[in-house]
Amino acid sequence: MTGKVYIAQPDLEKVLSKLAGNMDVWVPAAPANGKWGVEFMPYHSGLAPILNRRSSLPPKKVLLPQMEALLRFEYQKDPQDPSKVTLRLDDPTADSLTSRPVLVFGARPCDTRGFLTLDRTFTNGPYVDAYYRKRRENTFFATLVCGEADSACFCSSVGSGPADMEGSDLRLIPVEDGYVLETLTERAAFILDSLESLALPPTEIQEAAAKQINDEISSQPASGFPPGTVEAFRGRFENLGYWQEAVEQCLSCGVCTYVCPTCYCFTITDEMKNLEGARLRSWDSCMFSHYTSEASGHNPRPTKLERYRNRVGHKFSYIPTNYDGMIGCCGCGRCIRLCPVSIDIRKVVQGLKEETCECA
Amino acid sequence: MTKANSGSVSTANQGIKIVGFLCNWCSYGGADTAGVCRFKQPTDLRIIRIPCTGRMDPLFAAKALIYGADGVLVSGCHPRDCHYSVGNFYARRRLEVLKHFLPFMGIEPRRFHYTWVSASEGQRWQQVVTEFSEQIQQLGLNPGVRNPGPGIELEGLLNRG
Amino acid sequence: MTNTDIKQLCGLLHEQVQAALPELETVIGWTQGYDLLHTTPVFVRDANSISKLIWNPFCSQNLTGYLVKTPAVQATDKAKKIGVCVKGCDSRSLVALIQEKFVSRDSLYILGFPCHGVIDWHRVMLKVPATGIQAATVEDGQLILEHNGGLQRLELADVLARKCLRCVYPNPVIHDTLIGKVATPLVTVENAYRDVEGLEQQSLAERLDFWRSELDRCMRCYACRNACPLCVCQERCIAETREPKWLTQYMSISEKYLFHFIHALHLAGRCTECGECERVCPMEIPVTLMKEELSKIIRELLGYEAGVNLEAVPPLLTFSPDETSI
Repeated sequence: MTGKVYIAQPDLEKVLSKLAGNMDVWVPAAPANGKWGVEFMPYHSGLAPILNRRSSLPPKKVLLPQMEALLRFEYQKDPQDPSKVTLRLDDPTADSLTSRPVLVFGARPCDTRGFLTLDRTFTNGPYVDAYYRKRRENTFFATLVCGEADSACFCSSVGSGPADMEGSDLRLIPVEDGYVLETLTERAAFILDSLESLALPPTEIQEAAAKQINDEISSQPASGFPPGTVEAFRGRFENLGYWQEAVEQCLSCGVCTYVCPTCYCFTITDEMKNLEGARLRSWDSCMFSHYTSEASGHNPRPTKLERYRNRVGHKFSYIPTNYDGMIGCCGCGRCIRLCPVSIDIRKVVQGLKEETCECA
Repeated sequence: MTKANSGSVSTANQGIKIVGFLCNWCSYGGADTAGVCRFKQPTDLRIIRIPCTGRMDPLFAAKALIYGADGVLVSGCHPRDCHYSVGNFYARRRLEVLKHFLPFMGIEPRRFHYTWVSASEGQRWQQVVTEFSEQIQQLGLNPGVRNPGPGIELEGLLNRG
Repeated sequence: MTNTDIKQLCGLLHEQVQAALPELETVIGWTQGYDLLHTTPVFVRDANSISKLIWNPFCSQNLTGYLVKTPAVQATDKAKKIGVCVKGCDSRSLVALIQEKFVSRDSLYILGFPCHGVIDWHRVMLKVPATGIQAATVEDGQLILEHNGGLQRLELADVLARKCLRCVYPNPVIHDTLIGKVATPLVTVENAYRDVEGLEQQSLAERLDFWRSELDRCMRCYACRNACPLCVCQERCIAETREPKWLTQYMSISEKYLFHFIHALHLAGRCTECGECERVCPMEIPVTLMKEELSKIIRELLGYEAGVNLEAVPPLLTFSPDETSI
C-alpha cells in the first residue's frame, strides 16, 4: 500500500490524468480568462489546476449539486380513453448518479470542513438523504494544507485551522517544486495505489520539508470566538437594535449562502411542460425574502433583520446546540470577501457579548 | 444545431414554428378577413391574441426565441389608429429597442418582426405572413439558447426534435 | 488623489455632516471595511459616529439603493432629511429614482463627491498576493500597495473598475454640497460605448458564444438584481414568482440567459450604468455590458440619456405620436 507520494509540479497534470482514468477528479481551476475567481470543476486533460490561491466557490456542488432531479414523471393518457391517466415515475437515484469514485483534489481545510456540517444534516439522524449519502460514500477529499490566511480568513476561530484534516482522506502539502500527497484513511488507500508507476515515494528531504511545513502551519495559534457565544446569541435574540445595526447594509442578495461551504438549504419545485416534468431540488437561501413565505401569505421572517439574525444563529448557536458543539461555520471568509457590501460576520458574532455592535 | 438550410422555400415537412402576437382589434381582425377571403398562406404561424400591442412585453418575444421558436411576429393597429389610442405608440418604442438588442445577445434579429395591419387589410396580412414565413424558412430552424444541461436534458422536457 | 488630499476631503466631509446633522435623521456614507481595500456602508445618526465616514478610491458601493429598498431609509420625522453620499455615477441613480417618484428631492441632503475612479478589488487580486496589505494609497495615476512582499505600484488603468474607464459623469449631476475639486471626465459620451462596440464588431455566432459561456457561470444568486438601485420589485420580482412562471429552477443556460435578458430589458431606458451589477457578481460576469448596449440603442434611437435630467420621463415608459427615428 502506497502511503505517500511526491508529485513534481510539472508532473501534476500527468498524475491527475492518471487518476481521472479511474475516478472523477475535481480540481480548482479558473473558469474564464482574465477572471480572478477560481472554481472547482471536473478535471480533463489540458485543464490547468490552480492551487496557489483560494477558490471563490467551495466544492459544495460535488455533494450537493445546485440543481438535481429527485424524480421524473410523466402523465400517460390512454389513447383509447384519454380520460384514463396513469402516472409514470422515474427515480434517478437508481442509475444516473455516477458509479465512479469522486476525488476532490486541492480543497483547503475550510472547504472540506463544510461537509462535516452537511454530513450531520443529511446522513445522521432518522431521516437520511439517499441522494446525498450515495454521493458522499463515493467521494474522497485530498485536502491542501493552507499556506497563508488573507484578511477575511478565520478558520482558526471556529475550531478548525489551516492544517485541519478532519473529514479528509488524503493530505496534500505544497513543498518546493511540488507536493507531497499522503493517504490518511483506509477507504482512500486505493487512490494512490491506482497511480502505479507514477507513485514516486518522496525522498527523505522532501518528507522532512513536508513535515516541517505541516508542523509550522498546525502550530499557528487559534484565535477563537469568545466562549459562551451560543448563550450570548440567545441573550441577544430579542435585542432588535443590535440586529438592526448589524444588518442595515445587507442587500438580502443571497451570495453569502451560495458561496458558503456549510449552507445547505434547498427548495423543491415541480417543473412541468405539458404532460411530463421533474421534481427538482435546488439551492435556496435564507436571505431571500420568500424563504419562509407561507401559503397563507404570512411570513415569519418578513425583513432582512430576522433573516440575517437567523443565519448567524443557525451557524453559531443552533448547530452547535444540536451537533455537540460543532460550529456550523468553517471560517473560510467567502461570505465576507464576496458580500457586495462587505458585511463581516466575525464582527457580528464577536459583538454578541459586547454592548453594541461595532459592525460598521 | 441548425438543421440543413439549403435555401429551399418549401414549407412542407420543415416543421417550423412561428409565434404571432396579434392585437385583438386590427390585426386579429385582419387575419380573420384574410381567412374569410380564403387567401392562401403558409401554415406555420401560431397566433396568440392580445388586446393591444401595448400589452406586448418585449420579453414575450425574447422568451419565445430563447426557447427555440423559429420566428416571432407582432402585429397591431397602425399608429394613430390604435383601438386604445396610444397602446401601439408604446409598443413601437419597446419593440424597436428589442429589435436592436437581439443581435447584441447573439439572437438573429430577422427572426423577429413587428408590423401594423388593420382589420380590413386581409391581402396585406396574407403578404406579411407569406413573406415572414419565407424569411424564417431561409433562416432555418432556431436552436434557441439551450445547451444540454448537466445531467438534465431540457430537450425532452420541451418536446423539440 | 494623494493621501493628503484624502485626509483633507474626509475632514471636509466630517465638517459638513457636523454642520448639517441637526436637520438630518440619517446620513448614509462609507466607512472602513474588513481590510484596506474594502469599504462598507454606514448609517450615521449621531455626532459621535461622524468620524466613521470616509472617502477614498475604495468607496465603491452605490448607496442610493438604501433609499428605496425595503426597509427604505426614510425620515420618520418629516421635518428632517436623509443625507446620502454619492459619486458621479451614484448621483445619476438618484436622478433616476427621483424621476420615477421613488424618492422625493426635498427629502434628501445630497453630499456629492467628484470621483477619479474606484478600485476593482478583483483586478488588484490578479496582480498582488492577497495577504498582509498594510497600506494602500492612490498617487500620480498609480495604486501603491505595501504588503508582505514589499512595495508594489500598479497603474490605475489596470486596477480601476471597468465602468470608471468609460466614465462620462465623474462629477455628481445633483448635489446639495460638493466635496472635492471638479474632476475631468475620462471620455466623451460618444466614446463611452467602446466596450460594447467591440462586441458589436464580432459575428452573431461569436456573440452568442460569448454570452452563452459568460452567462453559464451565473448562479442566479440575484446579487446583481439586489444591488441595482432601480430594481425595486424585490419580493415580487418576476424572476422568482411561480405565477406566472417565467423561470424554472433548472440551472440551464436558457434560464440564466433569460434572467439576464429580463433584467436588462426591465432596466432599458432607466439604467444609469452605475456598474454595481457587475461589481457584485461573485462570478465576475460583465453583466453591465447588456445594459450599456441598451443605453446606447436608446441614445441613438430616442436621444435620451438616463439619470441626467430630473424632469425627464424614461423613454420606454412614455411615447411620442410622431417618432422621428423609428
